[in-house]
Amino acid sequence: MGSHTHTVTDSGENLHQVTGPSWRIRARRNSGLIVSLIVFTVVVVVNRVLQPNLFDRPVLRSNLTTFLPLVLASVGQTMVVLTGAIDLSIGGIVTLVNVATVALFGAMSGRTGMGAILLPVIVGVATGVAAGAVNGALVAYLRLQPLIATFATNFIWMGLALYVLPTPGGSVPDGLCRVYRGYFIGVPNSAWFIVLTFLIWYLVRRRKLGRYLYAIGGSENSAYASGINVSAVRLTSYALCGLFSGLSGIALTADIASGDPLVGGPLTLSSVTAAVIGGTRLSGGEGGAAGSIVGAMILGLARNIIFFANVPPFYQDFVYGLLVIGALAIAAASGVRRRSI
Amino acid sequence: MVVLPYIEATGIRKRFGGVVALDGANFACERGEVHALLGANGSGKSTLAKVFTGIVAPDAGEIRVEGRTITVRGPADMYRLGIAAVYQELSLVPQLSVTENIMLGHEVESRGLVHESKCWEVAAGLLSDFAARLGRQLSLHIPVMDLSPADQQIVEIVKALSREPKVLILDEATASLRSREVEVLFELVRRLREGGCAIIFISHRMEEVMQICDRATVLRNGKVAATVRIGDTTPQELVKFMVGDVDTVGRQVKARVDAPVALRVNHLWSGRAIKDVTLEVRQGEVVGLGGLQGQGQSELLKAVFGAYPIEAGQIEIDGRQVAVRRPADAIQLGIVLVPGNRAREGLCLPRSVFENVTLPSLPKRSWHGLLSPRVERAAATGVIDRLEVRLGSMFQPASSLSGGNQQKIVIGKWLLSEARVLLMDDATKGVDVRTRHELYRFIRNLCDRGACVLMNSSDNAELVTVCDRILIMYEGEIVEELSGSSLTEETLVAASLRVEAGAERAGGFVREGKVHGEPHPHGDRQR
Repeated sequence: MGSHTHTVTDSGENLHQVTGPSWRIRARRNSGLIVSLIVFTVVVVVNRVLQPNLFDRPVLRSNLTTFLPLVLASVGQTMVVLTGAIDLSIGGIVTLVNVATVALFGAMSGRTGMGAILLPVIVGVATGVAAGAVNGALVAYLRLQPLIATFATNFIWMGLALYVLPTPGGSVPDGLCRVYRGYFIGVPNSAWFIVLTFLIWYLVRRRKLGRYLYAIGGSENSAYASGINVSAVRLTSYALCGLFSGLSGIALTADIASGDPLVGGPLTLSSVTAAVIGGTRLSGGEGGAAGSIVGAMILGLARNIIFFANVPPFYQDFVYGLLVIGALAIAAASGVRRRSI
Repeated sequence: MVVLPYIEATGIRKRFGGVVALDGANFACERGEVHALLGANGSGKSTLAKVFTGIVAPDAGEIRVEGRTITVRGPADMYRLGIAAVYQELSLVPQLSVTENIMLGHEVESRGLVHESKCWEVAAGLLSDFAARLGRQLSLHIPVMDLSPADQQIVEIVKALSREPKVLILDEATASLRSREVEVLFELVRRLREGGCAIIFISHRMEEVMQICDRATVLRNGKVAATVRIGDTTPQELVKFMVGDVDTVGRQVKARVDAPVALRVNHLWSGRAIKDVTLEVRQGEVVGLGGLQGQGQSELLKAVFGAYPIEAGQIEIDGRQVAVRRPADAIQLGIVLVPGNRAREGLCLPRSVFENVTLPSLPKRSWHGLLSPRVERAAATGVIDRLEVRLGSMFQPASSLSGGNQQKIVIGKWLLSEARVLLMDDATKGVDVRTRHELYRFIRNLCDRGACVLMNSSDNAELVTVCDRILIMYEGEIVEELSGSSLTEETLVAASLRVEAGAERAGGFVREGKVHGEPHPHGDRQR
């Protein structure tokens, strides 16, 4: 099973074989991800039946560029939800990043070259990190309730966005959109970004930080008693959420190629939904961002299915709601092992 | 040669809300010493242990390690000084694996990542020191929530050992271990002691204290009652230190052997918590459930109230067998529960006193679903007056009352529904003395009018003051009954710790034998 094998030799008397977790244990710990992958496969098959050209390169690319903002937002949300908290200001952050970036593009419109694209992008992402850090400080150090604190900061980010860009508009350099919609060795760049996102998550998870996100979500008191700086980890989790929200904002900007002070709103609760469909428990301590990536794509494909199934426009939201409830129910059913207390 | 204490606490004070947990406690432990920390329920042992590990910040006092005064901001500081603890309530994260829990907070890293296989090796090495000696293989990778309580306890112990502590605190570390496992733990403790480790041992099992400890410090009401060498003392003496000089003034109980039986519980089994419990409470009687905390007292009351599943056995009210499946069934039969956790189970804190008092009995006074404000107010006023609740207006929120007065409201709720059997689950926790006495008087009044009371209390003095009889519970069974002259605080504590009160020599323990129903042999000899 590719599990590592080591032998303890320094303890002398009993030669103890140290092996990695069995596939059974690995499967159980990742049951949420596995179930979401199964649902994902089903959704892809259904979509393919209804839309025969689904796997054509341009269609695939256009789907992934549409999904990417939600994928990134969901990964960000997962960082926070794993600790048992929530971020209801993701939509606001994404919006703020969108308008800030577009405004900077506008201010730098005379210039050309990489700098004219990169600088606004970097400022945009930094804005996201800063907003996330503010959320984190409120929750970790002022001890405000995550739900309410981020609900309130959402208004602040939205308000700032309206101040920066009161009406939709502005333009985005062609270069950014070309990169966003481009290909690299035959694979859409948006797919590469998803792979990159997964790699970043993998590194987070393999660091102490990742372990501590799970520990705090599982039992904050135990984490504290084990000497973990709970407040610092919480702050970091929100800052990471801000980072991914910032990246989500950039992706959205490249996708719609303009600024809109109301654009991010729906992402907030969709990101929570995607995380839960992907097997992350809202109470914290279980799940992971890999599932959330899958969950976000399931949500996107569900929209496709409704469109290609020729559901009358009037009923589209209704059917979408039913599909989401179905996905959530399957995710909930996979979490069968409950603590028995 | 003067041995400097390795770790020392002086003048530690801590209060939680209105409750003083530690009131100027002093404690010192040397290298190579196993030092017992003893005391009755709520004497401050666990709080003191948590002060040492940095979880509880004391209001006053100082801690010295190797003679240097230290400032503590949290557990991380204490780990750095080599202080690790096995917590009574465990410090494990249920979802994380055995290895992840053992290494939590000090993972082996390489190039910024957690080095998983190194962590497994370290954990496996530590576990083989302990679990392998039991001939048991504990998987490194399963989540600890899938382990038995005993295995979880072992993981918690190994987790503390993984910090290579210079001071090891064991807070009820043996509570869920079997005797073979305790032996292995003690072997390990002795090895650590030889290595110069200072070990603080908290346990309610007196035979363990006598077996493994060098000295003992006894806490009583947050103060140190005595520090003694184990070689110079007996379990009986230690019990006396725990209890102190008690005055039994105020105990006014009557024998009620002729009254009819109001509540009868027949061979009741429930989960792991209650094993074959049989008891009777007569009309007008107050029966206490004593023993150490968490021996099934609370579960027994909840089972009778229908809030805890019953697997086998019957409940009879006035000689008639009844089915209690839900709290609603119990209330219908006149069985009510006064919970200890007022905020969670007893009151709607933000709502008014008036609403809280009238809530459970609304249907009795409604007319086709409508309520008369006048009748409601009259009913509430009657109860509030009878209970002498101190309040400005009965329309103020329940949260604005003091703890004691809140508890009166919880009892008042049930007064209006004319309860026959009052189950009290540590109902006076955190209630001031004066209000307590008012409540005791009130309970007596109820009993004189034909009600009966079955009460659990973590306060031994309270049980002795109020109860006609006390049933001692141990691991879900009723193991002993105290009544009449055998009912003193000393016999109660001794029976809880399963020490024979008044026996002359050390080591005279009541073991697994049942002494149910028998009067205690040496009950009043030491009084």
